[in-house]
Amino acid sequence: MKSRRSGSSGVVRSPLETGSQSQAKRDALPSVAGGRLQTYDPAGDNVRRFLELLAGRLTRPLTVSLTACVHCGLCAESCHYFLARPDDPTMTPVWKADQIRKVFKRHIDWTGRILPWWVKAGSVHDDEDLNRLKNIVFGSCSACRRCTYNCPMGVDTGLLVRFTRGLLTELGVVPEGVFNVSRDQWETGNQMAVSEQDYLETLEWMRDEVRAELGDDKVDIPIDRPDCDILYTINPREIKFDPRPIAQAAKIFHVAGESWTLPRWGWDQTNFGLFSGDDRLGAWVARNVYEAAERLRAKRIVISECGHGYRSTRWEGYTWAGFDQRVPTESVVVTLKRHLDQGRISVDPSRNAEGVTFHDSCNIARSGDLVEEPRDVLRRVCSDFREMTPNRRENYCCTGGGGLLSMAEYRPLRLEVAKIKAEQLRATGAKYVCTMCHNCIDGLNDVIKHYKLPMKVVQVLELVSKALVLPEKGGRG
Amino acid sequence: MSDMLRLIENEVQLAALAFLGLVYIVRLIWIFRFASRKERTFAAGSQGAGIRRSLANIAMPWAMESTRKDPWLYAQFVVFHLGVAAAIAATFIIPYAPHVFEIRAVVLLFQAVIGAAFLAGVLRLVRRLVNPVLRLISSADDYVSLVLMILFFAAGFLAVPNDIDRAEWPLIAFFGLTAFFLVYVPFSKISHYLYYPFTRFYLGRTLGHRGAIPQGTRPMSPGKDNERTSRPKGDPR
Repeated sequence: MKSRRSGSSGVVRSPLETGSQSQAKRDALPSVAGGRLQTYDPAGDNVRRFLELLAGRLTRPLTVSLTACVHCGLCAESCHYFLARPDDPTMTPVWKADQIRKVFKRHIDWTGRILPWWVKAGSVHDDEDLNRLKNIVFGSCSACRRCTYNCPMGVDTGLLVRFTRGLLTELGVVPEGVFNVSRDQWETGNQMAVSEQDYLETLEWMRDEVRAELGDDKVDIPIDRPDCDILYTINPREIKFDPRPIAQAAKIFHVAGESWTLPRWGWDQTNFGLFSGDDRLGAWVARNVYEAAERLRAKRIVISECGHGYRSTRWEGYTWAGFDQRVPTESVVVTLKRHLDQGRISVDPSRNAEGVTFHDSCNIARSGDLVEEPRDVLRRVCSDFREMTPNRRENYCCTGGGGLLSMAEYRPLRLEVAKIKAEQLRATGAKYVCTMCHNCIDGLNDVIKHYKLPMKVVQVLELVSKALVLPEKGGRG
Repeated sequence: MSDMLRLIENEVQLAALAFLGLVYIVRLIWIFRFASRKERTFAAGSQGAGIRRSLANIAMPWAMESTRKDPWLYAQFVVFHLGVAAAIAATFIIPYAPHVFEIRAVVLLFQAVIGAAFLAGVLRLVRRLVNPVLRLISSADDYVSLVLMILFFAAGFLAVPNDIDRAEWPLIAFFGLTAFFLVYVPFSKISHYLYYPFTRFYLGRTLGHRGAIPQGTRPMSPGKDNERTSRPKGDPR
């Protein structure tokens, strides 16, 4: 796919690719035929539909974020896109948000409807304008919400970006990667189209690995076991690309004497609806998890290490699904911390002797609640833990957030602006950067490879598993 | 006092103020027409604490990296808005409590605050004209609102001595501008003070509920099961 940037603007000018959408229509996929997954109609009145959706989907928090901006520009230097391209004003959060704000002003707000030029109100006129908007909200923002925390007015630009993505998704004006992943999640219930056979076989394989490692045939990775304390949900990446975190969790849960199970259906805690802005997809995927917990009468939902999965399942999914939370829903890092607090597992930090730093996932730290918990665990399982600067809620995005890893056309810009993250990582001097997010693993690995950093990415589970002191035979488990 | 000054200080001001109030009522009704989503999750923090912290954000320059890194800009913001408060106060003091400005120290204090705000306004205008980011995003309203504020400060600086025996024109200019402002403000960016409580409320409510703010005050999750202590309204258990 050929993409190019326009003049001094970093916004990528990528055409709308609809090959996958056309194929999905030809194949009459149930999600397309059933109207759940929208495709682009070049003959449709897309501008009119866009404006109708804009007017119909506004909520009060969105409306006030659209009206309250005073154009002070303080958000600019909170954005890694602008920090990496300081001579390019189109990389600032305020400019990006203004691209939807001006349409709001022109069609919804007061002054802009009467005197549009006075407040720089404007409209979208054709599908090319919609595609341009697509390249801004999907291609030059990872929706990390760092600007939101740095806005004196409290304007939630991350929310505006997701909202705009949702309008475009409804028209099929989306990057091809976003369409493909959404399609897979709609069609198979998981975003990597993992078949049930692959799922079950991988879990059996990991169970056998842990049995061999511990020399204990009682180790199990239960499927659909009712009345467990924990319903464990995972990222399809753990089945498709790297199943080791499943084995690590199984090993730790076994040693901790945890009562747990994975569901046969509703095991995918990731949710591409967060990235595409599609609340219907978000609701359906999240509901699959919540209903699995109800069906199996699980006392708690535990989410494996995943930033957007955690935010979607713990926080946003209940709202999207209109589902009142009934059982505690937590990250596996919180579960590990509880195991340590309660003395259910013992660890030896000297087994992780080399320098480890921690990368806070945007979706967990800024849009969620977990900042100190992972640090508490890491300090117990590592002997050389060091913070990066800035950290916690001021940390920079891994640059792969917002679903950008699935959008190949924006990769050059993503890696260019990743120099901010690379400098931050390099300054720690750590050998390992730990993160509790699968998306961040891939994002950080891209940064490390591109900027040739002498680091490796690890997860909390891996470090805890490595530090785990196994009980004597005949002990717990 | 001339009839013109009396009229512009009183009836015109009251009419303009009533217009502003009416438009704001309509505006608030308009805002409340948009739905706000119900929170359905167990809290990890406190909505109330989040809202309070979010609303107080403006007085906590250390809380945001953007203001921490540029205290000079924050100082300009403070001075500018103190000037706004002083100038607005003057529009009520002059017609309804003129004896206040018979105290020389009070006049000097108001002039100092409003004069400093005038300088801050000029600096802000220069920044808006020079900074490429601000140039790109600024609308006519952004520039005109700022220029009007600078003129308002200048007029206020000259008006607060309230010395009509020397000259009435500073007072006529000040109250003329005030009346114009009251009519113009509801349609301009200057109305941001109306939206601030809303944006801050919703952001604080969401992030406070999740325990993301206030930072460093939430106990860590495990050990005690704090999720179970807070259920959404309507949960039958």
